[in-house]
Amino acid sequence: MIRATASVYRIAVLLATVASVSCANDRPAWASQGAQDDPAQLKRAGELERSGKYDEAIGIYRELAAKDGPTAVASRRGLLRTLSETGKYADAEDAGRRFVAGAGGVELQNALGEVLRLRGKTAAAESAFKAAMTGRASDSLTARLNLDVLHFDRGAHAEALKDLDGFIDVYNSRRRSLTSEELMAVGTACRYLGVTNPQLFKDALKAYDEAIARDSTNQEAQLREVELFLDKYNSGEAKKTVAALLAKNPRHPRALLASARVAYFDGSGAAAEIVRKSLEVNPDAPAARAFLGSIYFDGEDYAASAKEAERALATDSTLVEGLSVLAASRYLQGDRAGFDALERRALAQNPKEADFFVNMAEAAARNRLYAQAVDFAREGVVADSTAWRAYGVLGMNQLRVGAMDEGRKNLDRAFAGDPYDVWIKNTLDLLDTFKDYKETASPRFRFVVDGKESELLSTYLRDLAEEAYDSLAARYQYKPQTPIRLEVYRSHADFSVRTVGLAGLGALGVSFGTTLAMDSPAARDAGDFNWGSTFWHELAHTFTLGASDHRVPRWLSEGLSVLEERRARKGWGADVTPEFLAAYKSGKLVKVSRMNDGFMRPAYPQQLIFSYYQASLVGELIERDFGQRAIVDMLNAYKTGATTEQVFQRVLKLSPEAFDAKFDAYLKERFGKLMAVIEPKDVRKDAMPRAPAVDGEYTSTLSQGIAALEMKNYDEAIKWLEKAKTLFPEDASAQGPYWLLAQAYKAKGNARAEANELTAMTLRNEDHYGANIELSSVLEQLGDSAGAAAALDRAMYISPYDPAQHARLAALFARTGNKRGAVRERQAIVALNPVDRAEALYQLALAYYEAGDGTSARREVLRALEDAPNFEKAQELLLRLQRGNRSGGGGD
Amino acid sequence: MRLRAGAVLLAATLALAPDVSRAQGGRARVLIVSGVAGEPQYADEFFKQATTMIDALKTRFGVPDSEIVYLAENPARDAARIKAASTKANIERELTALGAQSRTGDVLFVMLIGHGSGDGTTSKFAIPGPDITANDFARVLDGIGGPTIAFVNTSSASGGFIGTLSGPNRVIATATKSDMERNETRFANYFVQAYATDVADADKDGRVSVLEAFDYARREVARAYESENHLLTEHAQLDDNGDRKGTAAPDAKSGDGSLARRVFLGGRAGSVAAAAHAASSDPRVAALEREKDSIETKLDSLRRRKATMDSTAYEKALETLLVQLAEKNKAIREATGGRP
Repeated sequence: MIRATASVYRIAVLLATVASVSCANDRPAWASQGAQDDPAQLKRAGELERSGKYDEAIGIYRELAAKDGPTAVASRRGLLRTLSETGKYADAEDAGRRFVAGAGGVELQNALGEVLRLRGKTAAAESAFKAAMTGRASDSLTARLNLDVLHFDRGAHAEALKDLDGFIDVYNSRRRSLTSEELMAVGTACRYLGVTNPQLFKDALKAYDEAIARDSTNQEAQLREVELFLDKYNSGEAKKTVAALLAKNPRHPRALLASARVAYFDGSGAAAEIVRKSLEVNPDAPAARAFLGSIYFDGEDYAASAKEAERALATDSTLVEGLSVLAASRYLQGDRAGFDALERRALAQNPKEADFFVNMAEAAARNRLYAQAVDFAREGVVADSTAWRAYGVLGMNQLRVGAMDEGRKNLDRAFAGDPYDVWIKNTLDLLDTFKDYKETASPRFRFVVDGKESELLSTYLRDLAEEAYDSLAARYQYKPQTPIRLEVYRSHADFSVRTVGLAGLGALGVSFGTTLAMDSPAARDAGDFNWGSTFWHELAHTFTLGASDHRVPRWLSEGLSVLEERRARKGWGADVTPEFLAAYKSGKLVKVSRMNDGFMRPAYPQQLIFSYYQASLVGELIERDFGQRAIVDMLNAYKTGATTEQVFQRVLKLSPEAFDAKFDAYLKERFGKLMAVIEPKDVRKDAMPRAPAVDGEYTSTLSQGIAALEMKNYDEAIKWLEKAKTLFPEDASAQGPYWLLAQAYKAKGNARAEANELTAMTLRNEDHYGANIELSSVLEQLGDSAGAAAALDRAMYISPYDPAQHARLAALFARTGNKRGAVRERQAIVALNPVDRAEALYQLALAYYEAGDGTSARREVLRALEDAPNFEKAQELLLRLQRGNRSGGGGD
Repeated sequence: MRLRAGAVLLAATLALAPDVSRAQGGRARVLIVSGVAGEPQYADEFFKQATTMIDALKTRFGVPDSEIVYLAENPARDAARIKAASTKANIERELTALGAQSRTGDVLFVMLIGHGSGDGTTSKFAIPGPDITANDFARVLDGIGGPTIAFVNTSSASGGFIGTLSGPNRVIATATKSDMERNETRFANYFVQAYATDVADADKDGRVSVLEAFDYARREVARAYESENHLLTEHAQLDDNGDRKGTAAPDAKSGDGSLARRVFLGGRAGSVAAAAHAASSDPRVAALEREKDSIETKLDSLRRRKATMDSTAYEKALETLLVQLAEKNKAIREATGGRP
């Protein structure tokens, strides 16, 4: 799940003292007159700070802070703020302590408290905030907010919320006289109060807006708006607001962090790059370090993730995001003791610490540990019964493990508490549509499919699923718990919502373990994908995830799934393409040792597609050189919590780097000939990251063939295309030589040659519907009923919606003696709800009869006659069945 | 056969539809009106749909030419078949005349092909001269007492006709749900296909009821839109219980469909029904027909009790009756020289 984390919310309340000159006008009694130009200097420092020239600003603030003049308070606050913002926390604390010890020190207590809070020194921070309040400092309202937040973060929710409620009274009674900073404090109080009444989030936004209106230079208020938008799942507004802020201050480290979070929220790979920019300004910013750690975590680089989290905690030992990122890394590295210690630490500082568990649950879910995600989220709601996000994460993951009723209940609770969560709203909307879904079953599966096509798809899925289970169980020597639940969605948007809570996911299917979801063939145009191979792919994940206790890295699980597709049926699964080899030749594939990057952080869009195929080749190579047993051993090793490096060492006796070299040699050996006719072009290092275009002998030969074909010069076209085919026989795409040759041969009336090309193509290409349909027709004309049936059978796993093709296939199966196949096809026609239902039922009855299944034949013929009692053919069959019964037989 | 079948159904459905006898047997009189086309492609399309329907009724269902009236925008296009221009005056005159010829038990079938419009209060059908409204049709139809009326408006924005024309002993079918569905419709094409081909005879009795034609057209329209990945912009409706409310899926639950199920425009030539009907003067066949009627009555009764019965008991009883019916039909075919 991609979502703003709770720690965004928390960090936002710190560094509240705004970089504005408004404080310069507060002239306390203790202040003495200073130099005439000090206010101008202070103004200059503020401008420098707000434009990101922190060092220069610090210089001026430091100079002014040394004086006891009218600018002393503002400059001292400015100094503490800029030192903290740029990561000079120790300097800031030292200066703060000096300032509070001096005359009028109470005015700096809150600023010192904020520095202390950033360093995790909560007790000292609390004292400072209290001192600011009791001393009636000019920023005592902000100190009061900071104190309430500190109490809230410590688990004293009731106490904190009670006092935060007072901010509404402050606003109502003093609205016109409140400073920008105070309005901002009111806004933040409303954000916290939103847990009890989500309408208050709107008030928070209103207060921030007023804070900005009162002082347009208040960047802190703008930043809090960004965080509020992100917290309420409105990345569009967040993006706009943070862009405006960064336009003024491109080095604002927390604005950069917020921008990175927006990018992450939107699924952009730019998040890491942006947060690194933030860290250039403040290398020790705990929140930024923890966020970077979470990005590493997503890439399953737990060591790097832990390192970043540790660095975050070195600055602020209480940072929940840091604790949870580190805990998640420890957990995934199999360090249970390390995890337990961090959990204890989180709970010790806040017994109602739900966010730690929510973050853990989301981290677990991102690593496909859905059952564990449920456990963590449940701990979150136990810790804090008002943690709506915890209910949401719990519900979402319960749905993933198939606990539909409990999941729905928790999503309802989450949505009632926080109606802004678009993931939950979308998912609840989707669940509402489940009343139109129908559940069917096979011995080890439950198929949940839209009622419109449940019967049709189940007709195929029942056999396919059982076959796949047996095949995969034998290969991986592992049997997942049954029943396995498969949900099939007619709308891709619904599938996407089911998977990630939002529309727009590019995938075709997902495996949560023993719950699978995928697009129905109706969700896309015919020819977009093969739904049979997609199912097989997702089910293979169920085995590799289960065998490794969900510890297998994504790259290997994906690679094995693609490999299993290829094994399942000839032509299924990805094959080598000119583009893949061009990417390899130009060094644009990831190394096996960094394979997860190709999935989690692809450098260019096509790299993800290439990575699937590449990972499948890794699986092939391991099987070739180490045997299938090695794959099983690897999964078992991952189950123990071993890292990829340890797994390679333990099972393959190779380091990942050594395997890189081996894999490289394998690619050269396997595809050397093909590589010779492929050249990457347009590869410029300075260009936007993208896959290289393909050039070389193959491309030019193919182009010649296409040109001749377009000119209807078929003999010439055939000459070039045959040559292209010889050069790169694996290219079975719709732009490749087989399909084009088939067109040329068809135009010349050479049916046999056309059939040969289409046969070769469809045995390599899994989703070309037209090629299979055309092939079946040509083969039928040539008298090859078995071949025609095979082609039509392949077509059904691309698009099963044409009753005429089912009727053709039923007839072909009947002709070739495949009686079971004929029954299946007649079942499919009935499932398509044909207008002539009685005829379809009769034909199904007849197919059963011919297959020797008199009981089913009788059942179906009765259904036909129930609709059409005087249907002559059906009556004849019924009488024949009666005679058979009387004579003790079934079908004839 | 048709008359006897009517008697059987009368007994079976008396409680549901008091006017059932009028829906059976008798003669069918047909008025087909094609309106203003606007563009040549529509003129061709409307002409083709109308003439295909007329040809089907004549050749496949035996409706005499003399009982079919075709009014169109341009009578010169086919003077032999188009009786007059489809003006308001001509429509009202021809409809009144056909109504006057019809008796109880007859069917008066009206089909509109063309463009429609409506503003939520008045629904219109576009014809040469002033458009004709649903109220205009209502006025004429209200003056026709005897026959069962089947009124099918296949035009865009035709949904408003149901509320105006709905009444006892009437089947009103429209291509759209309301006046607001104003896009060009496909309903007419499939409705005509239902009569012109063998595709819509769902119960295989050799005839196409208005309900079968409606169901076929509605489903094929939906299928066509879906296969093209288009949103459905026409939702055909049918009302035959006089409640002024159409339904997209007429069945027992919706309360619509029971009359339309029994409204036919003729029996298909060469069917079992036609053969039996032709031979019914033979006393041996007549006896077999009576026995068959009895089985059909039981069958109909059984099917209506299905929801309240144990499924096993239902299937057993169903099989018994269906076997008896099959044997009886076989005997009738043998007796009438049909295929054994």
